[in-house]
Amino acid sequence: MSLVRYLPVPSDRMGIIWSLLNVQGSIVLEYGPAGTTHYSMGLYGGLGIRFQNRLFTTHMSEDDVVMGDVTRLEESLIELDKNYGPQVIFVVASSVTAVIGTDIKGVCRYMQQEVKAKLVAFEQGGFLGDYSVGTSEAYKLLVRNLPKQDVSKHPLTYNIIGASAWHYRISSDIWEIDSLLKESFGLSRIACLCCNTSVDEIAEMGAASVNIVISCEGLAAAQLLQEQFGTPYVYAAPYGYQGTLRFLRQVGEAVGAAPDPMVMMRINMKEKGLGMLGMLRMMRGGNLQPRAAVKGEYDTVVGVSSFLEEAGIAVEQKICAHSLKNVADPAEGVVHYENEKDWLAQLRPLQRTLVMGDDIALLQCDGSNTKLRISAPFLEGALIASHLPFMGERGADFLLEIIQEYYQKA
Amino acid sequence: MGLKEDAMWAMARKMGMPESAIAAVKAKRAKGEPMPDTASIMKMMTKAGGKNEMLKMAQKMGMPPLAKGMDGKELLGRLKRLSQVATIKDVPQLTKALFPGTHCPLMGAAMAAGGIKDCLLVIVGTDECSYYTKSLTINDNFGGVGGRCVSVVLDSHDVTFGSSEMMHRAFKEMMEEYKPECVMLVTTCVIEVIGDDYDSIAEELSAQYHLPVMAVHTEHFKCEDHFPGLERAISACLDLMEEVPGNGSVNVMGQRMGNFSSTELYAMLQKSGVKIGMQLPSGCTVEEIKQAAAAKVNIVVHDIALPLAKAMEKRFGTPYVYFNKFADPERIRESYQKLFAYLELPLPQEVQELYSKSKELEAAAKGELQGVPYIYGNTPYDCFELNRYLCLLGMEPQLVQSNHFTEDNPDVADILRFTDPYVCKAANIAPLQYVYDVLHPYLYLGHEFDDRLRAKGIAVVHSDGAGAMLGFEVQSYLLRVMQATLAKAKQYRKEAGL
Repeated sequence: MSLVRYLPVPSDRMGIIWSLLNVQGSIVLEYGPAGTTHYSMGLYGGLGIRFQNRLFTTHMSEDDVVMGDVTRLEESLIELDKNYGPQVIFVVASSVTAVIGTDIKGVCRYMQQEVKAKLVAFEQGGFLGDYSVGTSEAYKLLVRNLPKQDVSKHPLTYNIIGASAWHYRISSDIWEIDSLLKESFGLSRIACLCCNTSVDEIAEMGAASVNIVISCEGLAAAQLLQEQFGTPYVYAAPYGYQGTLRFLRQVGEAVGAAPDPMVMMRINMKEKGLGMLGMLRMMRGGNLQPRAAVKGEYDTVVGVSSFLEEAGIAVEQKICAHSLKNVADPAEGVVHYENEKDWLAQLRPLQRTLVMGDDIALLQCDGSNTKLRISAPFLEGALIASHLPFMGERGADFLLEIIQEYYQKA
Repeated sequence: MGLKEDAMWAMARKMGMPESAIAAVKAKRAKGEPMPDTASIMKMMTKAGGKNEMLKMAQKMGMPPLAKGMDGKELLGRLKRLSQVATIKDVPQLTKALFPGTHCPLMGAAMAAGGIKDCLLVIVGTDECSYYTKSLTINDNFGGVGGRCVSVVLDSHDVTFGSSEMMHRAFKEMMEEYKPECVMLVTTCVIEVIGDDYDSIAEELSAQYHLPVMAVHTEHFKCEDHFPGLERAISACLDLMEEVPGNGSVNVMGQRMGNFSSTELYAMLQKSGVKIGMQLPSGCTVEEIKQAAAAKVNIVVHDIALPLAKAMEKRFGTPYVYFNKFADPERIRESYQKLFAYLELPLPQEVQELYSKSKELEAAAKGELQGVPYIYGNTPYDCFELNRYLCLLGMEPQLVQSNHFTEDNPDVADILRFTDPYVCKAANIAPLQYVYDVLHPYLYLGHEFDDRLRAKGIAVVHSDGAGAMLGFEVQSYLLRVMQATLAKAKQYRKEAGL
């Protein structure tokens, strides 16, 4: 518990809900006070999530809290099942039910006989960690509960795992990965955990030839799918030209095919073009010691920092916005600060630095810096485009434009 | 158009729309008929046996799932009539599962703190409560993103071992960085469940740092919506008030929206030379709260300020006038009369003139509104006072949604002289769609989607403009809006074949 001046890191529960709301064909029922559900609409709407007739709350009274009465939950389940006929109802605990210890799994177990929808319980109430923990739990529970067991493999298919709605420009990054895999191997996507997917798509996940894990939160789910279906997985967030080339080679190995040579050559040529940045630096008389600070989700920080370093920029701050609980062996230099004031202290003194992060982080840095929003939360504007990635070839093109701008400005 | 249609059908095929359904729509188009609406397409799909494919396609493209098992008659069958209600516990929810549900009292407390210029709002709760409240307060009132709303976020350690020690540590940081005039410590559900004593913690901090620290409790499981949060935050200000000599001013208490200086009531007070004191929570300073007891009378413009007004009357002897957004001109005139009697000033001549005008408007509107059925949702007006007035005008409330119900409310008894509407709790608009199909009201008073209701022959009465009004203007605005919306409703009913 510490003082938070800006926005706190979203909780595990928030990560679970925004993941589940991306699964069409399902309903999310929150067992807790209604105010939280109403309050959350602004965030989920801002993330581009459609929740009309898909997000509900039971509300709770003092009697429910004191007596542990779960009648509201039982009745709500029956009602939603009858009224909307969803394939799945996800029942999510609230902070209150987590503290009083309501056995939501138990309720779902005996209520399963009363409803047609599959009931899946999430008992995390916001105290087990931040959204990184929550999204990881959501992916795991989804792959444990929803994929059909008796599917035959579909050649040239893949799933994406670890695509969180919170990840800034996630639709664009998915679009870029889809485009790259289609162009390089002729691959098609089955499901995406958890962005604009459906119960039907998740049911077919076992049919994929390969799983593409784009964030550390998706690793455990990919491992479960490997155990269940023998599906290999590739863990790579393809940032930068080298990162993209590496990613395509890894996928190629997993599916037993070489990536399209024309695609590889095109990206290779762009990668070679990074050399001109040295010229730009020389033109500035060697005064510029290019340096950067990156704040965001773990794989974004690692991937973007790696690209910046390829471009000759020393990344002096690599700040992970969430805890590193899901990262077995964090990359060197990547730090998560438990206390807000500690990361604020890192960013506030920066001068003539290329700063990439969320809006709160960028606000801390003065006008001598070159700034780019690459992570959430964002305070201004809206997310509309789905063709402006940070990942892949096009993402690297765009980041390179910003790097050049920095070289010209700093 | 041809090209666009071709592309559309290509997309429909790609997304699984059956050929038979495409052929059916194309045949109709060939006869010169316009593109069918969603409901017609759904009917065609059913006939073509492609309903499931179409539904999945539509949902993938953003259409919300349909409540195919919901039945308006069944929903109404579960509700109670107004005559059967004695307390708020008797008022049922339309459905057990709610969307969007009511606002949180934490939000109410934040709204109140927003009106106290140099007060630091501190949320003590989960990441989630803090995140949403901070998002809400990123505005000019609070000083932007780095403004005077901060949080002390609970973790599992605090839940197990208590949050007092960490709160003291965080408070020290706050004092160093923000240097506030006063602090509002707003506790949320979890604090109330674990039982940390924030009244005592606030007292300790107040003594330690020599500034007012108010504890405001906003657990949502003990109340219905955000109003208790506003009420408690306002009421907590009592302890800031000091014994001061009277100055003949009035305090305005409970105004949630708009600027008091734009109201008719303000104009009347100005003409009579009455000074305005504290305006809580519509905009005041800590110093103005401290001096509030100098007022000759408190004007309570919403129920949220009643507890504070009563407490001020008890502690300082300051009388209050209940001057809500009344719809009935008789009540408005009565409120003016009481106010000016307390002020020991003559009632301005304009008040009588405005009263006469409002009665003329009423007489003109009465014939038109007679017998018009409506559903009441949520407005800036007092729920039962407004419904009583509309009954007096001959209108027919079919269903009244309210999260508040006081026993022995005379307005309820008056409504029952005319009719006995259904009652249910508010903020649950999803199932209402099916109730509309049974009751077929002309009007919906509250927040709803215009297009959705228009398709059902219902016009939405938008009355939020009254939020920034006080006096006879509230009634005249209401009648204007009702008449204009009724004209629309008549047209919409024709469109809907009603």
